[in-house]
Formats: sequence, structure tokens, C-alpha cells
Amino acid sequence: MAAIAESSVVGGRQELQRLAIDHTRVRARQRRLRELGRHVALGLITFVLVAPFYYVLLASLKDSHAIFQYPPELVPWPPFWGNYANVLSHTNFLRWMFNTLFVATTVTVLKVFLDSMAGYALAKIDFTGRKAVFLLMLILLMVPGGALIVPLWSLVNSLGLINTYLALILPPLANPLGAILMRQFILGLPRDLENAARLDGLNEFQIYWRIVLPLIKPGLVVLAVILFTDQFMSFIWPLIATTSDDLIVLTVGVASLRAHGGVDYGLWSASAIMSLVPIAVLFFILQRQFLARSLAGALKQ
Amino acid sequence: MIEPRSSAMPAVAPAIELVEVTKHYGKSEAVRGVDLAIAPGEFIALLGPSGCGKSTLLKLIAGLEELTDGEIYVGGKLANYLKPSARNVAMVFQNYALYPHMTVRENVGFPLKMGGVPREEVRARVEAAANLLQLTTQLDRFPDELSGGQRQRVALGRAIVREPLAFLMDEPLSNLDALLRVEMRTELLRLHKRVGRTTIYVTHDQIEAMTMADRIVLMNKGEIQQIGSPSEIYGAPANTFVAKFVGSPPMNLIEGRIEQGSDGLTFRGAAEVPAGKAFAGLSVGPATLGIRPEHIEIVDADHPDAIAAKVDLVERIGSNSNVFLIVAGQASLIANVDADTLIREGDEVHVRIQPEQVRFFDAAGNRVEGKGAAR
Repeated sequence: MAAIAESSVVGGRQELQRLAIDHTRVRARQRRLRELGRHVALGLITFVLVAPFYYVLLASLKDSHAIFQYPPELVPWPPFWGNYANVLSHTNFLRWMFNTLFVATTVTVLKVFLDSMAGYALAKIDFTGRKAVFLLMLILLMVPGGALIVPLWSLVNSLGLINTYLALILPPLANPLGAILMRQFILGLPRDLENAARLDGLNEFQIYWRIVLPLIKPGLVVLAVILFTDQFMSFIWPLIATTSDDLIVLTVGVASLRAHGGVDYGLWSASAIMSLVPIAVLFFILQRQFLARSLAGALKQ
Repeated sequence: MIEPRSSAMPAVAPAIELVEVTKHYGKSEAVRGVDLAIAPGEFIALLGPSGCGKSTLLKLIAGLEELTDGEIYVGGKLANYLKPSARNVAMVFQNYALYPHMTVRENVGFPLKMGGVPREEVRARVEAAANLLQLTTQLDRFPDELSGGQRQRVALGRAIVREPLAFLMDEPLSNLDALLRVEMRTELLRLHKRVGRTTIYVTHDQIEAMTMADRIVLMNKGEIQQIGSPSEIYGAPANTFVAKFVGSPPMNLIEGRIEQGSDGLTFRGAAEVPAGKAFAGLSVGPATLGIRPEHIEIVDADHPDAIAAKVDLVERIGSNSNVFLIVAGQASLIANVDADTLIREGDEVHVRIQPEQVRFFDAAGNRVEGKGAAR
């Protein structure tokens, strides 16, 4: 009896153990399922985002015959590099690239400087008409860009700047968005910080340069990225402000490839892929800057 | 105020002098007609409730705000039109205002660097200041890596390193927790003794003002209420505002009238107290009697001066107790008695107002000259 009882006790314990193990297994399975579901969802989103890009990449690596093959070849092997070679030899691609980079960089550098100075003035200097100026900038923000194209063209034209780099560089500088953005960033800086700087013997420009600029660095980087990509992508204004081949920018140049006797999709795709390179590099470099030292530590939290 | 505001102003040329200083913000007057002379090496506390204009006054002296009217002299020179950095004063801000993108060393050395001091000298002076403030091991850290007390020290270091004519401190301890505040208070005082510079210290904390200052300037609504040593401010408040503001619990104020009694003037209100002859300016009419809580004592019912009172609340604060009394069913008084006194809420007791310790205020709230009569 005792032996049986004991064995049943042992059996019961084993049963319990088995149940417990089953339970953990069930839980583990559930967790895996949830995980799987999450990954499937993420995978779908990624696919939707990447697919068009991949399609263009594929097209750039196929000859004109293979592009229209059905079903499409998902891994063209060996890749066809002729499109890239054609872009470089048959079009003015490098010139377009230079124009875009030159204009975008100049605009970005000038505008980050001007916007942060304007933002500083709007946030910290008590001048007559400050409110009116700020209001005017807000109103300007609400005017759709398209409505400005014709008057802008006639203005630039009457200045004799059509078909010059200045036609591409000057108009974007007048956009008030950056200054408004910088004002918001600078408003967040404590007034005592400037007061301390003033007592330390800094003049207005030095306060801006040595105290404010380093502290709004994350804001400057954000603004720079916005401005640069904006210039990089801008199409309508460069299209109508320049007609000379020497001044054509990437967007306009790539779009013009359609005009050359029908569309060479391979050539077009290759030029599109190549024009992405600078933006990709820029993001890669600036990634780290987003983590710049923040305001933490200036004040008691 | 008609009272002489100060008794302790020495005859040397003042380090900082304010003449009829006034500041308006639009229509509101933040500071009104402030006259103040501060002797070299003096520790002055600007004390008052929030919004009384004490911080504004400090900023006016620093040059961070523009005067509406009046004159400010720093080191004998008219400073009205001098830039903040040209006034030779250093300021310590309430929230430290350290430059977050600079290390402690750079923060402390920044005013010197901007002033064109050679690099080697900057280094030496920063290290000397760091030594004084026990910051030597923190020199290469950034402000966000420091504790509140350490940041406070860095802010002090940035002021000390300039070796200015005067330090201006705007509630420098108010961001620290209670324990650290007491510690830093002593340390500041020690520092002041060692460095010996004129200091103007803004605070709303009367304990800080009482413990640190040579003289307290008590302000309310943009005006100076009284200037005096801590004991003058405490013992002889210039008006009922000062009486109420300084002391914890504050001075008891009893509304009543001065009347002609059989043997001289007598105060009649919730309590009756002989005024004696010592109060020169006292005349028949409405008046307020002031008595500090520690000058109300519990007595036996048969004492000639005994006033019947009911105990409303007893607040034990260590060695002493604050006893909240209701006298004549209406006026409430606070007595500060020894904690051993056996007294409970609801008790009927008898108290005595020590006549030699009373102060009188006239109908306008200004103190009447003279001291209580000993019997």
C-alpha cells in the first residue's frame, strides 16, 4: 500500500511537473506567435516602403529588353552596368549634380546662419515692431508656394538674375519657416544664461555665437537637413528660373531625360539612383549630430 | 517711512550707492524711490515677499535692467550707463545659469577669458577658485554631471574668479534641498568672511537674511520698508508689515485704542496694557500693539496682569511650543512657551503680555518711537 501510495505521490508530482512544463511551453508558443505577428507586420511595412525603390534599382541594372520582361527578374544576374555608364557619358549628370550640391549647400549654410540670427532677434531682443514682424512671417508661411512663382519670376527677371546661380540661391533664403523654427528653439533657452553671459562681458553677437548657437545645435541640424533636402528636391523653381544647360540642377536634368526621344527607363532609373547618393551620405553623417549634447545641466531640473 | 532707516552705515565711501532708484514696467512700478548705501565688505540681504522688487533691484544694480529713474553708483562711479560687464560686479543666479556646453573649468574661466586675461593666469585663478570651493576633482566635468550643490559651487566659482567689487546673489540657495541649503548657508558665510567682498543677497527666506546679513533691507511693493541689522529688524520693526514678515511665528498684532487711564496712557483692545511714558510719540486714538510670541507668558490666574485665554492649538517644535490662544473670544495670539509647559488644546489659561516688550504702531501702521515701560 505504502509503496503504491508513494508511487502515486511521485506520479502526481510528475504529473504536476509535466503540467507546469506544458504551461510554460504554451506560454512560450504564444509569445513566439505574438513575436511572429509583429515581425510579419513590420515586414509588410518595410516591403511597401522598399519595393518601389528596389524596383527602380532593378530597372537600373537591366538592359532595355530585360526591363519589360514578364515575370520580372528579381535578381538580375549578371547586372547590366550600361545604364550607369550611359548616364555619365550621354548626359550632363555630373554638372547637374554639381549645380544641385552647390546651390543646396550655399542655401543651407547661408540660411542656417540667417535663420538662427533672425530667430535670436525674434526671441531675445526687444525691438520695436517685433510682434508685427513675427506676425508677418507667420502670414507669409500661409501663402502657397505656387501662388508666388509668377511674381517671383518677374521680380527675379527684372533684377536680371534669370539664368544665374543667384536666381536659385536668393529666393529660398526668404522663406520664413526657418527663422520661426529657430525662434522657438531659442525661446526655450533660459534668460539667466544670457544675463550671465552679459555679465561675463559678451556682446550681443558673442552671446548668439558662443552661447546660443552651441546650445541649439540639435535644432540647427534639423533645420539644415530640412533645408538641404528641400533644395535637393526642388523642381518647379529651378525649372523656370534657369534655361541654360550649365545651370540645370539634378531634378530638372533627370526629368529632362524623358524628352530625349521616348523614355529610356534604364537610363532614367540609373540617374535616379545616382542622385540619391549625396542625400544618403548626408543623413549618414548627420545621424550622430542628432544626439548632440542637450540643454541638460544648465539649470536645475 | 519717517524713521531713520539705518543706524549702522559707516562713514567710509560706499561700495554701492542707490539714489532714488525707480523702475517701471509699462504702468506697473516694480521699484520705487529706493535709497541705499552699502559699505565695502558689507553683507546686505534684500528680503521681501515674492514680487516685492528685490530681484529687480538686483538686476538694476547688475545692469541687466535699465533704470527708469534715479542713480546707481558702483565703486563711486555713476554706473547708470555702464554695461553689466563694466560695473565690476559678479552675479550668482537662482538657477545657476551655467553654460551647459562648457566644462566646469571653462565655465569658471569664461569671464576671465572674455576679459582678455592671459591663458596661464586664467588657469591659475580657476584652480585657486576650485580649491577654495572644493571643486578640484570636478573641473573637467560638464554641468549635467554635477549635483545641485556642486553646480551651486561652480556658479559661485564663476563669480569669485573675477575678483569683483561686489557679489550679487539672487536667491542662490532656493533650489537646494533643505539640508544642503543650511550647509551651503554656513559655507557662503565662511566664504564671505574669507573673501570679504561686498555682497548683496536677495532672498525671501528670513532665516537666511537673519543669519547671514550685516544689514537687512526689507522690501514690499517696490519700496523699502526698513533697513537695519537683523536684531533691529526683529526687535524694532518699522511698521506692521515688517512686524508680520519677520519672525516665525510672526509678531502678534492686537488692534485697539490708546486711552487716557488713571496713571498715564493705556492700550485697550483684546488685552489691556499700560503704555507708560516711554513712548514719546504715543497719543490717544486707534493703535496696534505688537508683542513677540516669546514675550507672552503663561501665568497664574491671580497674577495682576493676567489675561484669560483659551488654548486653540498647541504646535510642538522641539524645545518650544507655539500655543495658539483666543483672547476675549475673538483676538488670536500666539505664545511661544517652553515645551515642558503642561498645556493642552481646549484648556483655559491665563497669560501675561510683558509690558516692557510691547511695541506700538500708529493708525498708519508705523511704529511709535520708544520702548515698553518696565513696571
